[in-house]
Parts: sequence; structure tokens; C-alpha cells
Amino acid sequence: MAELVGIYAASHGPLIARDWHRLSDALKGRLSAAYGELGRRLSASAAEVIVGLAPDHWTNFFLDNLPALCIGIGEEHGGPPEPYLRDFTPKALTGDPELGRHILETALTSEFEPALSYRLRLDHGLCLPLSRMKLPRMPRIVPILINELEPPMLSYRRCFAWGGLLRRAIASYAKPARVAILATGGLSHSIGEPTMGEIDEDFDRRCLDALARGEESELIDLLERGAGRAGNGAHEIRNWAVAHAAAGGRGFELLDYLPAPEVYVGCAYAAWRLA
Amino acid sequence: MRDYWLSKLCFDLLEPARAREYRQDREAVLKRYPLKPEVRAAVLDDDVAFLARLINPYLLRFYFSAVGMPDADFIARLRAADPNPRPAARRG
Repeated sequence: MAELVGIYAASHGPLIARDWHRLSDALKGRLSAAYGELGRRLSASAAEVIVGLAPDHWTNFFLDNLPALCIGIGEEHGGPPEPYLRDFTPKALTGDPELGRHILETALTSEFEPALSYRLRLDHGLCLPLSRMKLPRMPRIVPILINELEPPMLSYRRCFAWGGLLRRAIASYAKPARVAILATGGLSHSIGEPTMGEIDEDFDRRCLDALARGEESELIDLLERGAGRAGNGAHEIRNWAVAHAAAGGRGFELLDYLPAPEVYVGCAYAAWRLA
Repeated sequence: MRDYWLSKLCFDLLEPARAREYRQDREAVLKRYPLKPEVRAAVLDDDVAFLARLINPYLLRFYFSAVGMPDADFIARLRAADPNPRPAARRG
């Protein structure tokens, strides 16, 4: 049987890579420490597979065809197209078709209707955290891309339902596999909006506090009412909501929170408590 | 609502080679997109405020990054066009 061995979250602001050389030493130090600690924990978990929750930044999907949620079930996924991640290795990431298909089939038999892809291109949403974690060995990856850029989007309540489904799917996977979940994105930030560069630290801290205490109804209420006002980038907290529910809502350990205007993002890093 | 062809232009420029071509000859690239005349004019004028009403904000940001507008200039134009400015929380 598969075992859920860790659930983590990390911000993925692209300026963390693109403008790294311009950031202050203090910020670089804290970012490096946060990603490094996540990498250390993920490695210590001996995860063989990562289920990666991230948005698609117009890399795979466009207005022609824009799924609310897409599960990558291919043998391989492409690396990041962004020029500032040109040094990312491996150039192609190994998938886990069997686990991906099991999650897909579990969803379809549970009244969830995800899209599927046999080859996704994984942009900075997943690859920036993975590169900064400096993992000695890249686990297989089952990407789950959620539309968090173009409204309308999944409700937060539905994201919590997805988290519960993901937990059940991993628990019911018959093959032995050590599985970790990595949710990326958020917290507050604005891209291409007049508030670009602003961070809603109050919202972020209320969100982190609710996540740490694990109270689902409070979180859903806070996110449904507040995330839309914390910048369009805050829609990415949907990935955190899925991860939170997958962990059974037992709260998490906040590794660091940095309201970092230099990278336009309220950056947060966390590991959930497992049952 | 979104302007499809303006969105498509911005989406296509995510490809670095296409963005290079666009920076070298905007007119030639724009001929491939059936933009409405007022949209085409706004593109040629780098009219951030006008274009912001027509496309996804991420695509807007990618577009102006692709054409080489510095973030500070882009953000200043967005804020100047904002009909409902709010007090800054923490600005970069």
C-alpha cells in the first residue's frame, strides 16, 4: 500500500530565480534556509513520488482550452520553459503514470471530473521550489495543475474536497510507494494589477494562523471572503487548501513567512502534521 | 470578457524567439493577429491602462516584460490608471 510521508508548501515567486542576484543577502539567506529545510525534510521522508499541486502560468493551457484541474499521468513531463530556469535539471521529469491514473480514476468514480494530460510542461510553479530545495535525487512526479489564473475557478470548498479525495486516493493505491505532496504558490501578491508589489501581510498572517490551527470551516470562510482581495496571486492558496485537507486538517508547522516586496510575494513555507 | 486575439498575441510572446522577433519588428508580427483597430493602436502605444481592461493580468505582465518595459514603469502605469486606488500595504 502507498504511504503518505509528507505534505509541504512553498511559495514560488519567479523573481526568486530571475532576480536572485539583486536580492539582499538577508532575504537570500532566509529564502535559502526555508527552501533548504523543505528539501531536507522531503529527502528525510524518503519520498519516491511527489504529487505536485501548482497553477499553470499559461504554459500548458490557454483560453482555447483551460481545464479547472488537470492531472499529469504521463511517463515524463517537460521542464520549465522560463529562460531564468534554463539551468534546471533534469530537463524532463519522470512521471508516475500508475499513481497518476489511480488518482484520476478515483476522482472520476467519486464525482470529480479532472482533465488529464500525458505530458505537461512544468513551469516555475513547481520547478522553482524543486530547484531551490536542492534535492539529492528528484522523485517521480504526478503534477496536478489547478486553474488559478483565469476566473472562474474552483471554489475553496471544492479544493478542500479535492484534498480529501487525494488523501483517499493515495491511501487506496495498492502498490507500495512513499508519496509526498508539495503545494506551491501564494500567499498574497498581485501580478499585472495596480496592487502589484503590495503584500497583504494581515491577510497572510490570518491565513497562516488558521492553517496552523487546522479549522477547516474558518479557513474556507477566510479564503472565500479574503483571498480575492489579497491580489490575484493569492488564488494560488487553493493549492494550500488542497494540501491542508489531504493532511486531514491537523494543522501545520510554519517554517517561515517573509512578506517580501522585493519579489512581490508574501512568501511562506510549511509542513503539515500527518495523522 | 477577454479579447481573444490580444490574449493570443501575449500568449505567443511567452516563447522567447517570438518575443525577440516582436521586439525587432512589431508591425510584421501584428499582421498575423486580427486585432481590432483600437486594440492595435493601444498595443503600438504601449497603453497599459487600455490593454489591462481586455486581458488576463498575468498575460498583460508577460507582454510588457517581453517588450522590455521595466517593472517599475509598468506598475506606475497600472497605478496611474487605477480608478479605485487603495492605501498601500507594503509596496516594493
